Amino acid sequence: MRPIMRRRRSIFDIMREYMEEFERAAEEALSAFEQPSWDLETQSLQPLFNISVTAEEVVITADLPYADPKTLKIESVDEDLIEITAKMRVKLRFEDLGVSHREGEFSSFHCRVPLPVPVDASRAKASFKRGILEVRLPRRRGYKIKVE
Amino acid sequence: MSETVRIVERREVPTDAKMIHGLPDVGLVGVIAVSQIISQLKMVEVAYVDSDLLPPVIVLHEGLPHSPIRIFSNDNLLALISEIAIPASSLQPLMRAIVNWMDEKGVETAISLGGIATPNRQNIESPKVYGVGSNELSLKILREKGISVMERGFLVGPQALILQYCAEKNIAAISLLAQAFYNYPDPEAAAAVIDTLNQIVKVPVNVSDLLEKGEEVRLRMRDIMRRTQSELVRMRKSQEYDIPHYYVA
Repeated sequence: MRPIMRRRRSIFDIMREYMEEFERAAEEALSAFEQPSWDLETQSLQPLFNISVTAEEVVITADLPYADPKTLKIESVDEDLIEITAKMRVKLRFEDLGVSHREGEFSSFHCRVPLPVPVDASRAKASFKRGILEVRLPRRRGYKIKVE
Repeated sequence: MSETVRIVERREVPTDAKMIHGLPDVGLVGVIAVSQIISQLKMVEVAYVDSDLLPPVIVLHEGLPHSPIRIFSNDNLLALISEIAIPASSLQPLMRAIVNWMDEKGVETAISLGGIATPNRQNIESPKVYGVGSNELSLKILREKGISVMERGFLVGPQALILQYCAEKNIAAISLLAQAFYNYPDPEAAAAVIDTLNQIVKVPVNVSDLLEKGEEVRLRMRDIMRRTQSELVRMRKSQEYDIPHYYVA
């Protein structure tokens, strides 16, 4: 029986796929602008967050002013999506922010962050300093290409 | 003045004034700093920017509509501030019109307040402030005040354009740039830049108030920061990280 030949993906295929995934994530992030950055139902605010990808890891940071560090939760929703939640030390009403034509108050932060590349979540590390959360997720390794 | 941008004066504008600029950029440093200065010095609106190049937005204050880009005054100090992220594609005509207007008004010195994105900002207790000048006089002012001059590198965005257009007209312009978060509002960097500004122009502003209210400022600035982020990408702000190539004198 002839062995099944599977075409090995070149480095260019991997780069192209990576860029396509990254562009998709960027488009998703941009489309979020058309939604409010708050949710009255869950009384939560969407924090500012940032994703950067290095050769070794994915680094996610989130700006969480007023967050109570003891309530911070970072959970995996899916292989390529993590959820960050935190309760705030204060309750904020629209009125406190100078908005008089809306009603409601906020007491937590909530966001879902898409992971642009596969990671090994079991080796992830997180820190919270000066109101900024930093999560470092090592990238999952694929295969090595031997240089002839 | 450019046809697509009008600067509408509402009150008498002082001549030979010093003018500070707070435009949305990394860490919203300039916007936070200038907003603090306008509020504490109780500056009054003297002019506003009207342009078809801006999104169809008005800002309501005490129930009345205002342009999102306005100029305030107090004695011999003018302050320009934007309350919205400025579309990257509109920056050139807008900044050129503002510099032309400064030239007409005989502005003596223009000082743009802003930030310089610093990747390890989280580990910096006291952000350092660097200065850039449009001409020899501006560089002399910076050196006399002991402000570190950014000698080489790239600048991208509103401050870069103001420096370039002021250089063309030989207006003394300075950019004061504090180490800042790229995409998080940075009130500590704004306080550092106000402290440095005080070495050039005396602005009796209490920065401890700004530092105490840091968390509130960061929360209030979330939405403008979010919109500024996408404009920073469009203007290729990351080019500021690039190392300059061969030396060209």
